[in-house]
This record gives sequence, C-alpha cells and structure tokens, in this order.
Amino acid sequence: MFFDRNRLNIGSASRTRIFSVPGRMMGYRLRDVLKVRAAEGAEFRLTVPQLDIEKGDKIALVGPSGCGKSTLLDMLALVLSPSKATIFDLHTEDAKPQDIALYWRKRRRDVLSTIRKHHIGYVLQTGGLLPFISVRDNIRLSLRLAPRAGWDTMKFVVGELGIARHLDKLPGALSVGERQRVAIARALVHRPSIVIADEPTASLDPCNASRIMKLFVRLTGELNLTLVIASHDADVVRELGLRELEHSFHATDDENVVVSEFKG
Amino acid sequence: MKSGRRKGRELPTVLWLAVRDYLHEWQMSVCFILALAAILAPMMVLFGLKFGIVTGMVDRLVQDPRNREIRPVGSGHFSPAWFELVRARGDVAFVAPKTRSLAATMNLYKAEGSAPSKIVNAELIPSGPGDPMLYPDAPKPQKIGEVIVSDSVARKLEALRGDTIDGSVARIYRGARERVHLPLQVIGIAPPGAFARDGAFVSGSLLDAVEDYRDGRAVPETSWPGEEPYEGERWYPGFRLFARSIYDVAALADTLQEGTGIEVRTRSADIEIVQSLDRNLSIVFWVVALVALVGFSLSLGASLWANVDRKRRELSVLRLIGVRTGGIIWFPVVQALLTGVFGWLLAGLIYLSVESALNHMFSGSLAFGESICRLLPEHYLGALYLTLASCVVASVLGGFKVSKIEPSEGMREY
Repeated sequence: MFFDRNRLNIGSASRTRIFSVPGRMMGYRLRDVLKVRAAEGAEFRLTVPQLDIEKGDKIALVGPSGCGKSTLLDMLALVLSPSKATIFDLHTEDAKPQDIALYWRKRRRDVLSTIRKHHIGYVLQTGGLLPFISVRDNIRLSLRLAPRAGWDTMKFVVGELGIARHLDKLPGALSVGERQRVAIARALVHRPSIVIADEPTASLDPCNASRIMKLFVRLTGELNLTLVIASHDADVVRELGLRELEHSFHATDDENVVVSEFKG
Repeated sequence: MKSGRRKGRELPTVLWLAVRDYLHEWQMSVCFILALAAILAPMMVLFGLKFGIVTGMVDRLVQDPRNREIRPVGSGHFSPAWFELVRARGDVAFVAPKTRSLAATMNLYKAEGSAPSKIVNAELIPSGPGDPMLYPDAPKPQKIGEVIVSDSVARKLEALRGDTIDGSVARIYRGARERVHLPLQVIGIAPPGAFARDGAFVSGSLLDAVEDYRDGRAVPETSWPGEEPYEGERWYPGFRLFARSIYDVAALADTLQEGTGIEVRTRSADIEIVQSLDRNLSIVFWVVALVALVGFSLSLGASLWANVDRKRRELSVLRLIGVRTGGIIWFPVVQALLTGVFGWLLAGLIYLSVESALNHMFSGSLAFGESICRLLPEHYLGALYLTLASCVVASVLGGFKVSKIEPSEGMREY
C-alpha cells in the first residue's frame, strides 16, 4: 500500500528539516561509550568506540545472545545509563543535538522521559502490552502521551498490521504473533523519530516471524523512521537490507571479564 | 483530526490506567475494600454507640429541668435586693422567693360539679413567668387568685383548666381557730413529673398572703382579718432557683454558696458523671481507632508495595513509553484512594444496617426520637477524611517503590 505522507499530516517541524537542512541528518552520535555490568561474579563490558546512525537508517545489531544487544538498545532508547560516554548525542527534530550523556550525569531523568515519549518507539521481544486495557487503548497509549501525529496514523498502522478486528479485545485474548503486531503498532503510532526493536519476532514461528519482520521494516520505511533492531539471525537481516553493525568479542587477561564491542 | 494537540496528558493517562487496572483486578480490589470496611465499620459502630449513648444521656439531663435546680439546704435570709441581683444574672433561668415551708400550704377543694370533692392539703410552690417545671407556652400564675395544680391534685379534685376551686387557710388566733377562703382559678395543670406530691404552683403574692395570715396579720388584698398588715422589705428564708443550662449548675452553685454562705444541693454530680463518661469513652474510642487505622495503613501499604512488585513489568513499560517518575507515583496513590472511597462507602452501609438493628433492639428502653447508636453527617465526613489520609500515607510506601523503577529493569521480566 502506498503511504500518503500529506494525508498523515506530518508535523511542520519535520517537513522543514527534510527540505531545508542540507547534508547528513544525524540520528545518534556515540564516541567511546562504555557500559559495565556485573553478573554472577563476572564482569561484562560493552564498548562502543564509535557509532553514527543517520535519520532514516535501518540498523541491525547481530550477535549471539549475551553479547549486549539489549544493553546497547536500552542505552539508545535512553532507559539505561552508560557507565562512561565521551559523546552520546541524539539529534531529534530540534536544531541542537541533545547531549544524552549530560542528561544522565545530571540525573535529568524527566528530560530523558520526555525525549523518549516523543521520539522513541520500543518493541520488546514479547508483549510489553498492558493486560488491563484493550488493544485499541494499548496502541493509543503512546498517542495519548505524545499526541503529535494525527489519529490517521493509527488507522494506517492498524490496517497495515492487520489487527483491526482485535482492537476491542484485551491483549490476553490474542496470540503471541498478534500481540507482537500490536506492540509494533504502539511503537509506530505516535510517529517517533526512532524505532528500537529487541528481537521483535524471536518468540514466533519462522514463517510468521519473517512475515512480521518484513512488514515492520517496510512500515518504518514508509513512515520514514530510523530503525535499530536486534537480531540473532544474520540471514534475515541481510535479506531485509539492514545495515549490520560490526560486533566482536575481545579477549582479556582476566577470564572473568567479558568485553563485547559494537561499531559502525 | 486531533493532530493539533501537542500537550502531553500524562497525569490523566496515569489516573485512567490506575482506574482500569483497579477494575481489571477487581478480585484484588474487592479484597482491599473488604479489608478496609472490616476495620472501618466496627469503628463507626463503636463511635456511633459512644455518640448515641452520651448524647442520649446529655439529652435526658438537658430535657429534665430538675437537673438545673439549685436548692438551699436549711433556711437562710434573703432580701428582695438579693433576688433582683440573682434574677439579673445571665446564668439564672428562674428564681422565686420561698416563704417558710410550714406556712406554705393550703386546703383545696372543688365545690362545683356533681358532688363536692374531698379536701386536699397542697403544698404551695412559688412560681411565675419562666418557671421551667411548667409547660413553657402555657400561662403562669401571676395574680393572687391564679393557680396551677399538680397532676395528683388535679386527679383528686377532678379539676380541669378553667375551673374555680376553693382555697382555704386556717390559723389559731388569740386562742380561737379561724379559717379564711379564697376562690382560686385553675389556669393549668402541671406536667406529671413536675411535682410528685400534692402541690399548687402559685404567685408569690399568694404565698406572702398565706404566711401573713398564719402569722396573725391582716391581708388587705384578700380582706383577711388580723393585726396590722406587713409593711416594709420582706426577707425570705429560701428560694426556688434554676440555672440556664446544666453546664452552668456547678459554677452557679459555687457562687451562691460563697455569696450567701448557705449550703446548696444540686444534681451536678450526675452531670459530671456524664461528662467524664464522655471523656473516657472518647479516649477509649480514639485509642482503638488509632491502633486500627495504623494497622490498616500498614497492611494496605504492604499490599500496595507488593502490588508494585507484581506490576513491575507494566509500570516499567509505562516508564519506557515516556511516563515520568512524577506521573507514575500516582498509580498506587490513585488505587489506594479508590480503596479508601469504596471501603468507606461499604463501611457506611454496614454501619447503617447495624445502627438500625441496634436502635430497633433497644427501642424498648429508649424514649421517642432517642437512639442508642447514631452518627451525624460530619462524622461520616470525618471517617472519610481519616480513611483517605491513612490511604495516602499507605500509598507513599508504594509510590516510593514505584519511583525507583527504572524501565530497563522490569520490562524484560516475565
């Protein structure tokens, strides 16, 4: 289905940016970001020496489980603080990049919440839906909090994801696959700048997984959103034409210290 | 198209979600409400009983004017000026001078009717406007020929209001037995409890006349013969005195005792008993209420705390989609307040049914309009206020825990 941008009432701010700002539009700019986590006597160190994500980029984090994909996603989603960051900037619609590292240092969590609310959509591996409100209300939730896009986006997203007939049900009445479609709808409906997805189809059968993943990537493209997705399946990522970040494990002297690096 | 609305509506959204969750988990909510009502309803019954019983006792004290009476013990010597002074006091409702009690009697009988009645020897009680023992709106004896007979006299004479009866006084004067008669108009019958023996409420002038006649003097007003009429200031050996309210009795009695040196008798002990009963019951009630409400607060607080743990994932998701800390702490607060309001409503209903049952059960020993258990509207509001306050205190625990939730912690737990 062709996506009519005018009908979707794209905000004036983003239109200005698309047409008037020349050169590369930055999404994220990270330099020497480190996250240290201790678990069961071992230390896990995630390092990101350099990461640039432009607006509209489709990024994939591929790696085995335990390599820190979720940790990096959480940092990009502004819900996890980096242990150390030389630069951690986020370019949203505003002219000035937001210094996320500074906000974390100054404990400006409410600022981070506000950025999250307006600019970031997050799809979890399973659910993340509220069991006590209907599918419709779950999807509307992000729209209620950040009513920046038109409600037409809701109709479009719901139609594309094929969940229109489930809107009045509670999430508990849906299959896992349907629930993931609802979670995707909620992450897109308020037209954030960035959508982050943590193995959104990992709990589905391969056939369904591939169908939903394709739909998801296509939708983010039509809505012109930046996409960062974590996956353990490199084949799927290549098939969808996502840009894969370089990942490597580094050996250390201490066998209890694991260092995992993402770059790109 | 609602795209124009850019202002975030975080607080209403969180309130709405808290209500939806509360309804969705209605079994849990009902348990909380029942737990609250189970504490609040007995508290309300306890307070209702205390209030009903004490109010009933106070009402009885207030309604019975005898509780306001201050009676002198023995006889004294009171001048008209003293009576003026006492009458002018704000805390005195009624005062009348009393003549010597031995002289204050009269034989009454009714000559009219089918057959003459028997003769009744009645005590004369000084009365007049404002006498609290008589019906408030009925006329009071003011002239020498007016009388209000006690209930027993009315029965014995078969006298009705408006009848004229004969009053006679006898004396032994210069060795001879004499008797004079005076027609008396019955202007009313005293309330049954006003005077237990045979008595007649009369004006002061009749009492003076009867005393003078017995003393051997002539009374020009009634044309009774005798020695020179009484002249000059008249001093009295006693008085009938009522305080304005039961709460004035003790102080007024002390003042009179100090001012006149005469011992007085009151029922202030009864009043003090009720007052101290009220105080002591209040202390007991508030101790029980405090313990119960603190216990309830702690239990609700613990439940809310555990609930936050249970809902960690949902609350994390809310934080993830951008609800700020300041918004999310309303989640447990709203749910606690809902519990408070519904628990209060349920407790009120339970209380009302217990109240009507108790009042019905004890209706035999209660006067009309009295209730053993009752609450005023402000008591219901006070209960609501206290309940909501303890709910808010309880939810502070949960709110504190919620504020510590980081979205990255809880959202992958399942």
